[in-house]
Amino acid sequence: MSEARLSHSKFVGIAGLVAGVVVGAVTVVLAGTAVAHRLAAAAPEPLLEATHLPPLLTAPDERVELRYDVYCTTAEQIESDAPCDATGSVFVRAAQVGPFTEIGLRDEGSASEGRFVTVVPSAVARSPSGFAYYAVIRSRANGKTVTLPGGGATAPQRSAPLLQSAVATLGEHGFGKTRTADRRVAEAAWGTGPGEVGLEDVGKNLSPIGGSAFDVGPDGDVYVLDEANRRVLRWGTESGSPAQVPLEINGTLADMSVAADGTAYVLETTGAARDTMLLRTFDANGVAKGTSELAERASQVRVGPSGPVVLQTTSGQWMSAATGGRALSPSAQKASGRSGRPLLGGREVVVYRSGNELRAALIGPGFFRKTWRVTSETPLAEVQLAEPLGNRLVVVVRTFTDQRDEFVVLVLGPRGVEKGFSLDSADWAETAPLSRFRLAGQSLYQLGSTPAGMFVDRIDLEVK
Amino acid sequence: MTGVRTFLAWFVVAFCLATAGTAGAYHTQFVSQNCNWASPTPTSYITRDGSMTVALRARYEGYQWGGGCWNDNNNDDSPGDPPATGGTGGEGGDCSGFTFKVWRESLNENDAGFYQWGMLRFEHGPYLAQNFKGGAGAPNVIAPKSGLYQMDALASMGHVGMIYARNADGTDLIIEAKGEAYGTNIWTRTYRGDSSYGGVRRTGWSS
Repeated sequence: MSEARLSHSKFVGIAGLVAGVVVGAVTVVLAGTAVAHRLAAAAPEPLLEATHLPPLLTAPDERVELRYDVYCTTAEQIESDAPCDATGSVFVRAAQVGPFTEIGLRDEGSASEGRFVTVVPSAVARSPSGFAYYAVIRSRANGKTVTLPGGGATAPQRSAPLLQSAVATLGEHGFGKTRTADRRVAEAAWGTGPGEVGLEDVGKNLSPIGGSAFDVGPDGDVYVLDEANRRVLRWGTESGSPAQVPLEINGTLADMSVAADGTAYVLETTGAARDTMLLRTFDANGVAKGTSELAERASQVRVGPSGPVVLQTTSGQWMSAATGGRALSPSAQKASGRSGRPLLGGREVVVYRSGNELRAALIGPGFFRKTWRVTSETPLAEVQLAEPLGNRLVVVVRTFTDQRDEFVVLVLGPRGVEKGFSLDSADWAETAPLSRFRLAGQSLYQLGSTPAGMFVDRIDLEVK
Repeated sequence: MTGVRTFLAWFVVAFCLATAGTAGAYHTQFVSQNCNWASPTPTSYITRDGSMTVALRARYEGYQWGGGCWNDNNNDDSPGDPPATGGTGGEGGDCSGFTFKVWRESLNENDAGFYQWGMLRFEHGPYLAQNFKGGAGAPNVIAPKSGLYQMDALASMGHVGMIYARNADGTDLIIEAKGEAYGTNIWTRTYRGDSSYGGVRRTGWSS
């Protein structure tokens, strides 16, 4: 190579280097400006939120209060020490039809919880068919208004009276006397390989999360949502190793229900777009059939009479997410809100835990109603499952102290508890909140985990 | 032709070197570009409702292990940070840093007073989740789980979240910085009955 060509080559190389640095620097500046603009452009928005614990099932002698917590700020008042300056009304009616009566909410300033309150008139609260209500709350600080539940007068919250309930008292829970399962129907080690179930990459110290939901098909097949590996594992009744069906999901905590035809509904609990949660539908082969945007944050999906139903908060109602295979809009979902979970035949099941008392009801068309009240000396936490079994109701509720916890299984019949036993909580890994139990036929199934892996146990209820 | 190739080769090398840090910097410069180290403002009183508004401003923001600074644009501005690495400078509190700031606590563990930190003040505070579970610090006490309500917390050895509301089925809505894949938000949880969690209460609320 001649000296001149070498010099020319060096010049071209240096020119390329300089040009690359300049263009790269400009790109960095422009990108940084875009990010900064995005950060700066999104100014805090005025805030108004309300929460409410609905008294879904009320005792005849009970004074019924409706309490609301309300949070608000203006855009300028970013982090306020002051409680929200708000006003509002509850619109209430006896029975399920007819005009609503407006009752103002009172600001009980010293209350630590449920600061905005009203008392339901006893004539309304004691209506034999219950009462319906919704609230409209307005922030004086920013002018925003919120309606709770979201469907307002179209889909009000409903409260049913506990008339002629079967009553049971559990007394103090005896920990350590748990029943063993009749059969382990599925199990897998933690991992990413075939037949294994994954743990999410949660980082330092956080509790393990994995195998976040399951369901049981009508043929007894067990489906486990292996969200970390983005798939469903399916165990047949005879085969020891599961089939794998990949799913296009987020890979984070999700609930799942599987319809009789193998359609899987996956309720994602994370989403990129603020509070918008997604319900994904897959056919039996894992092919995506659609995605529904949910109206509110959601915690459970179940198969309802005409499609998936989802428990959504802050309305605290079960809403249809799709009917006849068609996704419903968020407003249509709110308009379908119900206090109980819809079942086949027009019935619905309602559960309400109030302190150490569990209240449950099967409510059907006309005046069909079966109700139960179960009290416990040991505190009760979440109701993991409430499913009809003929004219009985199978309930699984967690009981706890500050040191221990177990699940209590109750078969509730016309005269109270027909059968009851305890199960180890077996909850080493976190799952979707209410996805640890399923009822199929006369058997209860439990999703459990240990540091070694996950499993599904079958417990035969042997109810005659 | 050789000259063009030489130019392009050096251009690509230089461009890559000039921009290489940017993708990483996007994840690591949130704190340095947005956060401050200002002194907290002592406040004479706080209410549970008022602290809830502090918590709600952090909702939809990111999660950063060891972090304690966020804005309010309803977006995780440093997504995909390595979940097991602290101090990468991303947006968000971790669970205990979030609780510390929402509860408006002091860096002095013997001080039960109230301090408004501001969401862009980078501060994690002195407590890990396990410290909250043990009731460490003058403002914090262990409380029976069955009696917890709005703005009380449930803490395990590795996580802590505050009660936003209670649900009819006995679950709780928890506001928490859950993890890198989750960010900071409100979810239905069953921590109350879970024996790995204990109850914690910040004392001194006005209401």
